[in-house]
Amino acid sequence: MAAAPQRHAGVKPSRLEEARAQFARYKEDVKERGKPFYPYAMFHDTVMSLVVVSVIVGLAAIWKWTSYGPHHDGTHQGLLGPEYTAPADPGTTSFVPRPDWYFYFLFYLLRIFKWPESVFLGTVGVPTICLILLFALPFIDVRRERRLLHRPVAVVAAALTILSMAVLTWKGATAKEALASEVIADVPNWVKAEKLPQNAVPGARLFATAGCTACHTYLGTGSSNLGAPDLTQIGTRNLGIDFQIRHLKCPSCVVPGSPMPKFESLGEERLRQLAIFLEASKGKQ
Amino acid sequence: MAYRRPPTKAQLRRQRMEALVNYPLDWLEERSGLVGGVRYFLFRKVPGDVNWMQTLGSAALTAFIVQAVTGVILAMYYKPTPNEAYRSIQNITDHVTLGWLVRGMHRWGASVFIILMFLHMGRVFLFGAYKYPRELNWIVGVLILVLGMMEGFTGYLLPWDQTAYWATVVGINLNGTAPFLGPFIAQFLRAGQEIGADTLTRFYSLHMMLIPGGIIALIGLHLYLVVRLGVTSPPWSKEAAGMALADEEPQPLRPGLTRPVPRGIAAARPEAGGSK
Ligand code: HEC
Ligand code: HEM
Repeated sequence: MAAAPQRHAGVKPSRLEEARAQFARYKEDVKERGKPFYPYAMFHDTVMSLVVVSVIVGLAAIWKWTSYGPHHDGTHQGLLGPEYTAPADPGTTSFVPRPDWYFYFLFYLLRIFKWPESVFLGTVGVPTICLILLFALPFIDVRRERRLLHRPVAVVAAALTILSMAVLTWKGATAKEALASEVIADVPNWVKAEKLPQNAVPGARLFATAGCTACHTYLGTGSSNLGAPDLTQIGTRNLGIDFQIRHLKCPSCVVPGSPMPKFESLGEERLRQLAIFLEASKGKQ
Repeated sequence: MAYRRPPTKAQLRRQRMEALVNYPLDWLEERSGLVGGVRYFLFRKVPGDVNWMQTLGSAALTAFIVQAVTGVILAMYYKPTPNEAYRSIQNITDHVTLGWLVRGMHRWGASVFIILMFLHMGRVFLFGAYKYPRELNWIVGVLILVLGMMEGFTGYLLPWDQTAYWATVVGINLNGTAPFLGPFIAQFLRAGQEIGADTLTRFYSLHMMLIPGGIIALIGLHLYLVVRLGVTSPPWSKEAAGMALADEEPQPLRPGLTRPVPRGIAAARPEAGGSK
């Protein structure tokens, strides 16, 4: 048994001295009572690695076999999703921006904050603070204590972190997608409720199918994302057709830092239709 | 006992065989010391009470190796241009022999790798294994975690399908909202005004050279520190290495009230109810 560190009566050793003494004792204990890495620990590691590789191969196989078949190609939705979706098309009219699952928690965080006052908290504020705390952990928690029951604050903090990550990931995974095919069915209701003029209808159709509702809500349709504003009454602000077109062409040129994608590729004609629709949207009449 | 028989023919042959087998190893050892290094790594002592949770680190390493190997194979067939990327992915998935397996393993291995990193980090937290003298290794670990997530982000664009493209458009725009550096990061990632050919090659280069290079270097440092400092015993273990004295004396709930003030290291420990 290692001896307790020598010290003078009444003088507590500093935390660092205590830590050093303990680590020296650790090294001695391992030398005396430890077991060699090979074959003991190495055996466990090898078994675990085989499990890992098998799980990966298994997932790859499920992905393939449930999405592949004689009647469809890799875009078929299998158990683990399609092997690929349609080719990228910057000029498309409908898309669902979705990251890989381990970014869902960030993705969902963005729905909690609203543009422009606090969306910054969701995109950078909260993640940066969490990352700094993660880096700083060993310097925040400097006690020697390692037993869980004696680390109540650490245990509660860990439980809360895991819970919030799980909830955010789950919410992100199940977040309702605004499917163009469903949104388009609402266009007649919009026309009626907002008394949209005839020349605004093509724009409304475009709005429903061009992916706008992936971020914006309109009369309750669509999903709010990245803190994008509700557009039910955007027309009451009388921003003007020209402004709308300029904003759609390059949102970040007009609103610095806007995360809304550029829609320049829709073409002048369709952008004008969209702008007419937006300007005609004066809210429920 | 006193009389030593001369070795038999069989014994002589065996001695010669052993020398022959050992020759390459001896040659290597004499010129590099590598054999000694490997022997040190393999036969170093670990605490007698290490448990299954402590295999999560090497499990993450295995997942990373799977990513590296499958990634190299994918790079033999993948073409990082907007015109060809999608078709080359289709080709790998549908036509190349076992291409679906390699791509599937790379795709899902990424998720497994991320999960294992988080589980490993959770075990380190649970064990309080980030405390002195292992603070630096925790920081190295967090860096690896961040780089691992960046691998996920850059790799997602490469199939150049709708999901990939639009998730990246939004991802880059989000980076752009960060104060001060944001616009520069977005500009750097996009490699221009629009997401296009240059973005794709840039993401490809980051994904297969820069970030993995960083991860490999950091894993090397991580493992060096693990071997140098040793791994921590489970905190609940009765024979936890380095905890000998603390465990001999029961920890009183309120020192001095119901039990005598403890001696030894338990006395030096900050008292109950401390933070963290
Ligand atoms: C990826 C998410 C996203 C998509 C898709 C999106 N927007 Fe936006 N939009 C935003 C955000 C965030 C803002 C707030 C920042 C800004 O004003 O640019 C916004 C703002 C707006 C505004 C308000 C501008 C103002 O000054 O208040 C309008 C109008 C608009 N978007 C129209 C559209 C239309 C039309 C589409 C489809 C063609 C669309 N958006 C697609 C995220 C999005
Ligand atoms: C590529 C990812 C990683 C690999 C390959 C890896 C590998 C390893 C290995 C093999 C060990 C030995 C003990 C064990 O297996 O538990 C270890 C220990 C350790 N790891 Fe990691 N690790 C990774 C990521 C991380 C992360 C994300 C963190 C934390 C933020 C971290 C922090 C630590 C610490 C502090 C130790 C020392 C634990 C102890 O002494 O008990 N590592 N790592």
